[in-house]
Order: sequence, then C-alpha cells, then structure tokens
Amino acid sequence: MGYELRTMVVEPKRQTFDPLVARFGDRPATRYQEGSFDVQATEHFHYRPTWDPAHELYDVDYSALKLTDNYRYADPRQYYYATYVTDAAARYEAFAQTLAYVEDRRLLDRLPEGWRRVLTGAVIPLRHYEQGAQLISSQAARFSYGTTISQAATYAAFDRIGNAQLYSLVGLALAGGGSDALSEAKENWLSAPSLQPLRRIVEELLVEKDWASGLVALDLVDARLYPLLFTELDERALADGAMAYSLIARHLSDWYGSQQKWLAPLLEAWTTDPTYAEANQKVLADIEDRWQGRATDAVRAVAKLIDGAVR
Amino acid sequence: MTKLSMKERYHLLTRDLDWTPTYVAPEEVYPHSRYEGIKIHDWGAWEDPFRLTVDAYCKYQAEKDKKLYAVIDSFAQGQGHLGLSDASYVNAVKLFIQGVSPLEYQAHRHFGYLARHLDGAGARFASLCQSLDEIRHAQTQIHTISNYNKHYAGMHDWQKMHQRVWYLSVPKSYFDDALSAGPFEFMTAISFSFEYLLTNLLFVPFMSGASFNGDLATMTFGFSAQSDESRHMTLGLEVIKFMLEQDEGNVPIVQDWIDKWFWRGYRLTTLVAAMMDYFLPKKVMSWKEAFELYFEEQMLGGLFPDLAYYGINPPRHVAQAQAEKEYVSHQVYWILYQYTHAAAFNTTIPSDEAMAWLTESYPTTFDRYYKPLWDKAKAIEAGGGRFYNMALPQLCQVCQIPMGFTEPGDPGQICFRQSEYEGELYNFCSDGCQWIFDREPEKYVQAWLPVHQIYQGNCGGATIPDVLAWYGIAEGDNLDYAVSTDKTSWDEWHAKGGN
Amino acid sequence: MSAPTTVRWVGVDLQETDATRAIVEAIETDNADITIKHFPGMIKIQSPGPLHINRSTVEEKYGRPWETHEFQLAIISYAGNIANWDDDEIVIKWEH
Repeated sequence: MGYELRTMVVEPKRQTFDPLVARFGDRPATRYQEGSFDVQATEHFHYRPTWDPAHELYDVDYSALKLTDNYRYADPRQYYYATYVTDAAARYEAFAQTLAYVEDRRLLDRLPEGWRRVLTGAVIPLRHYEQGAQLISSQAARFSYGTTISQAATYAAFDRIGNAQLYSLVGLALAGGGSDALSEAKENWLSAPSLQPLRRIVEELLVEKDWASGLVALDLVDARLYPLLFTELDERALADGAMAYSLIARHLSDWYGSQQKWLAPLLEAWTTDPTYAEANQKVLADIEDRWQGRATDAVRAVAKLIDGAVR
Repeated sequence: MTKLSMKERYHLLTRDLDWTPTYVAPEEVYPHSRYEGIKIHDWGAWEDPFRLTVDAYCKYQAEKDKKLYAVIDSFAQGQGHLGLSDASYVNAVKLFIQGVSPLEYQAHRHFGYLARHLDGAGARFASLCQSLDEIRHAQTQIHTISNYNKHYAGMHDWQKMHQRVWYLSVPKSYFDDALSAGPFEFMTAISFSFEYLLTNLLFVPFMSGASFNGDLATMTFGFSAQSDESRHMTLGLEVIKFMLEQDEGNVPIVQDWIDKWFWRGYRLTTLVAAMMDYFLPKKVMSWKEAFELYFEEQMLGGLFPDLAYYGINPPRHVAQAQAEKEYVSHQVYWILYQYTHAAAFNTTIPSDEAMAWLTESYPTTFDRYYKPLWDKAKAIEAGGGRFYNMALPQLCQVCQIPMGFTEPGDPGQICFRQSEYEGELYNFCSDGCQWIFDREPEKYVQAWLPVHQIYQGNCGGATIPDVLAWYGIAEGDNLDYAVSTDKTSWDEWHAKGGN
Repeated sequence: MSAPTTVRWVGVDLQETDATRAIVEAIETDNADITIKHFPGMIKIQSPGPLHINRSTVEEKYGRPWETHEFQLAIISYAGNIANWDDDEIVIKWEH
C-alpha cells in the first residue's frame, strides 16, 4: 500500500520577526530571542499608574541604574518559560530523590551532635529569608525595564519560593513529617539573636524602592550566606559524618551558581554601558557602601551560631 | 511518621513562610494595599483550591510544554499551514498576535506586581504562579505564530503595531487601564472580569476557530493553556468572594468595578465578535450563539445567582450587550472592512455561502440592516472599485473603537454621547463608556487616542502612507483579501503538483 | 432578558487522552444524572448538582496510584466553584 508524500517545499518569506532581524540579522531567531527581545511595551501608555503617578507603567526611572539599550542584557542561560520549568522540574526531582534517600536511611536522625542545631538555628529559618527574597525579586520582575531583565528576575522570584519550600521540606523531614521544626525555625527567625541582623536587612530591603538596589543588595547577602552554608559547611559536614547535611547542601549551592549566572552579566552590563557606565558605577558603589558591611555582619552572626554548634 | 493533610502541608509551604515585619512598618512594605478603600480584616480566610507547590507546578507545566512544543514543531515540519481551510483564516491569527499576545505579557508583568504588593501570602503566591503562566502563554503564542509569520503577512512587527495602530489601542488601553488601577481593581478587572466572566467569549472563538479551520498548532496551544486558565478562573472567583466576604463596605466598590469592567471588556470582545462571524472560513458558531451560551446561560444564569448572596447584581448596561448580540459583529466588521487600507490584516466581502450563514444566524437584523451594505460594496467591486473610507473616524474616548455603534432600539441612529470635563468635550459610543468616563474623568482624558495623535502630527506624517510606515504596516499587510499576497501565495501553493 | 433556569449546571471539560478515560469512568460511577459529550480532543461533562471526583474510584478504574494533583493535566475548563480539593477528592459545585 502506498501513501502520498508532500513533495513541494514552500520557501519562507521571512525568517523571523522584524525587531529580531534588526538586532540579529536576517536569519531564524532562537526561541529565547523571539520570546524575549522587544516584547515589553515601550511607548504610548494610556494612563499613569494611580499607585505611582510620578512614573509611567513601564519606566526606566524606577531605578537609578540605567542602560542605553536594555536589551544589551541577555540571560546566558537563555531561560524562556519552557526551558526554565523543564530545568527547574529536574532540580526539584533531584532534590526529592535526595530527601527520600535521606529519610529512608534516617540520616537526619543520625546527624552528629550540633548539626541539628545548625538546621533549626540557621538553615530552616532561611525559608523566611527566601520569602523576603521572593518579594525583592518580584519587585524587580515588575519594575525593571525590558523583557530580558524582567524575565530573569521572574524566574529568580519563583526559585526563591522554591528554595523556601525546599527548606520547609527539610524541616518537615527533620520532625518526622510534623511541623515542630518549622515552628521552632519561625521562632528563631523572629527572635533568635543570631538571625536578627539578617531579618532586619531583609525587611529594610523590602522597603527599598529602587528594584535594582534591592536586587544587588540582596545578592551581597546571598554572596556571603550561600557559600558559607553550602560550600564551606558542606566540607565540614563531610568531615564530621553529617551526611544528610552534605547531600542537601549540594542542591542549594547548585542553585546559587545558577543565580550568579544571570546576575553577573547584568552587573557587567551596567558597569560597561556606553552611556551610563560611570554613573552606574557610582550607584553600585553607593549600594555597596550602604549594604556590604551590614550583609557581612548579618552573615557573621549566623556563622557564630554555627561555630558554636559544630566546632 | 505523621502525614499532614494536603491543606496543612500546603499552608506550611506557602502562607507559613510569611511573617509580620518589625524593623520596618508593615504598611510601608505594602504601600498600595489600602488606597482603594477595600478593607481586608483577615487574609487567613483566603482559600487556595489548587494547592500547587513550586515543585509540582514545574513538573506538570514542563510536561505540558513538552507535548505542546512537540505539536508546534511537528506542525511546522509538516508544513501544516498548507492544510488550513483557507489562507483568509490566517487573518484571525494576525489579530491574535497583534492584539492578544501582548496582553498576555502585560498580565505576566502585573501579576508579578501582585506577587509583591498584595499583603496576603496566599494571594501573592497564586499571583506569582499566574505571572509565570502568563509568560508561558505569551511565549507559546509567539513561538506558534512565528511559523505563520514566515509565510503570511501582517505579523512581522506585532510589537510595534500593538503600540501604534488604531484598532490595537482598544486592547492596549484596556490593559493599561487595568495596570494603572490599584491591586484590588486589577484583580477584579483581569482575574474576575477577563479571566472568568468573559474568558470563553474571548478564547473559544479563537481556539475553536483554529480547530475548525485546520490550525492544529493554535488549537493545541488553546487546550494546553486552558488548564492554566482553570487556575486563573479559580483565582478570579476567589478574589471576588473574598473581598465581598471581608467587609460589607467592599460590596458597593466591587459592584462598581464589576459594572465598569464588564462593559469595558464587552466592548473589547466586539472585535472578537467580528472575527468569529467574518474572519473564519469555517464557522464555529455565531457571536449571538456564543454570547447566549457563554455569557447569558453560564454567567447570568450560573454565576450571578451565586453572587446575589453577597448583594451583587448583574452588571450595569448588560441589557444593551444582550440586545447588541443580534448585530454588533456586523457593525464592527463593517468598520474594519472600510478601514482595511490602514490595517495589518485583510478583509473582504463575505462569500454567498457566508452571507447565507449570516442571514440564518441573525434572522432579525442581517438581511434588513447589513446585507444592503454588502450589496453596495459588491456593486462598487463590480465597477472595479473597493470601498475604503478615507476620512479618519471619531473614536470613543473610553473603549477607543470608532463610533459605529447604534442607539439601542434605533438601528438608523449612531449612538453618540458627550461629557464635558475642565472645558473640553469628550465623546463616547455608548451609555456604558460614558458612565465609565464620568466616574474617573481624570484618568480617561490621558488616553493616547490614535486618531487625535495622527491629527496632532505624532504618527509619522500627514499622509496615509506616512502613517502606515510609522505603524510598521508594509506592503502586503493591508487591503482586501482578494488582492492580497496571502491569497496569491495560497493559490500558487495549491495549484502546483496537485494536492 | 433570559431568566435564570432552575437547573444550574456544573461541569468540567477534559482533554481526551488515555489518562483521562479513567477519570471520566470514575466520574460516571460516582455521579448520577451527568451528561457526557465527546468533541474532537475534548470531553464535556455536565452535572445538575455537585460533581465529585474521588481518588479511590479513579485509582480503581486506572489500575494504578493516582494523585488528585494529576487532575491538573486533564482539565481544560470548568463551570462552577471548586468547593474542595484535597488528597482524596475534588468537588465542583455552585455555593449559593
């Protein structure tokens, strides 16, 4: 039995949409490019926001940090929705398998002395830190200018709630499925001295109106917190035989690596911009002056608790 | 090992993450949550029917996308567009990418705003998920339609067109209106009014139209997006009920918003009415039927009796929408037909078959009032011409559609309303739009009206070619289907080598 | 003006796939008076009263474990209110 094959190939009249031709030349664009470049509206907004009449709906002046062309920035991971959720699903599946193994072998019960304190005193309370981080990232997702930056911030915001949920799952596992460890961690977040500088810095960043300042300052904290807890401490955990800690830590340090992948080029875009490089550098220096010392102090307080627990 | 219920587990993984700040004033963390006058006493009463955590969300969405992209790729690979009912169908796709996809992106950005500025953790998380969903919709639409752009006109610069072209200021201003409103009004406008009340009127015509006309890729997108829409509908219904239950004082505020956004949204859907009655070679159903099923039966008959419990009435001006179901699609298409020289899609005189369907579907109005217009257009065409209206139309200040709607009960009279504000006169197509203006004149006077802007010299120049160039409308994008590049290509592709 | 009818239909539209067939069978078993209509790629289910989807029934029809979460993948649209969604059941109905 035969079947009919279509033999005539229709040549395309166009390779892609005009803005992409203008930016990248007359050839097929990638899915990331088509879904990200020049998607956000830039002109003829009909009404001023009633919640901020001094600005337009999309406005470069929501931040002191500026780019001549906001599309100078692109996410090197090239995350658009489909690739993002696919990668994220894989990460969460890997974490679920780790946690299942940890629970199955009762590795949390078998943590050496002090490591439980590290979890309840430093790690599980980060579920609240990450909630704050989501709010800061969502501010950037809405108020940044241009789809490439906004999109990366959107996925970062979702990651942060994801992280919060991972820490919560660890807390549930630690308490044999009940909520006790989570209650303890929340208590610590609200009142333990070792966590107050961290909570305070997060709360102050929540009222930082410049979305980019919020994001950059948050990264100053992450940059101290994540390597401490999930790289340095991972080494110590292995030495101590705290297997559960090491297995879990890997996932969080992987996430932090992904976070750096999209943030670092954004910082570079600001500091090397053809028009605004100098002005941006000044703004970034101000952010650093304002927040760096406090970020260090906040993480130092957490480090002190850890040293006390597992020296 | 204690097993928590789904509800308890979900609570611990979402709302329990939240805390009341003490180092800064809580009102400073959520500065936009009170100015609309909506009172929320207890966010703890917020319900989360769907209870999806981040890991489950990513898992299911990744699975859906894998299937969807496989279909998009296979449709492209197999040159599926050659199997469409007719190239004229693609004009529905053009309207979609120019008019609807940018709205998905706007929704994405502003649900991101809600994920920051609502002061209830449950509602914030639901909004965050919706923000992700909406960029999914925007991008899957762009990716699907990218293939059509390769072969058909009118889609090559949809981003610029959406921001500049006259008929596209209708959807653009609708979403700008919602984004510029406060968070609770935005949720009423979009989550409730757009994503629940009117959603089927917006999407069934496009997605079913796709299915009936051989557009497998768009149809698959439609089904795939719909499961996200279930979550959105749920959020819409939840937010309305939540506001109504939290404080009696919220009821009149919410009623006003329901009234406004029904009418504003309904006027937007009249573009879809014209699309479904005239753009689709194979018809799904008439606008009249769609309105009766998806609005009158399901909403007036199903939803509003539910809301009556809270003291909510069906929307003001709904009676006019009901009366208009008999003729509004004809009025809007007639506007689009006469201005096709300035549009990025093709229109044409309906075929004899299509005319017969219109006669049958609209027994009380089509033959009497609208077929005579088509007879006239046919006569012009027979004489070698094509009717294009060279004057610029007056637009309604609120909905921004050209004022081609008639007085309720008087089909011979154009409906024309006027209000004065600070010494200036403003024009409206209907009582509904005037009522919307009169509530918030300081907002609607800001509008960037395409026709005013042309006259002010802000649209590229003083001639139609100047304006078209500024619009990004290129040769082949506009004019009648009969002389279009789409038709020429289609005939060529289907003539060679047999089918 | 159309008067509200005395029957207020609740319903759900599902993707027509292998996986959803078990769900449809379960719905048929657990709910009286429902109507099922088949369209290309879609199944439309309507009920005059509350619509129940029970995990245990679905698992019985499916022959394998099923989480109510998985309903996400099947659903296209629904009419009514999601009154409950937990580990064991999903209930769709009008509240008032």
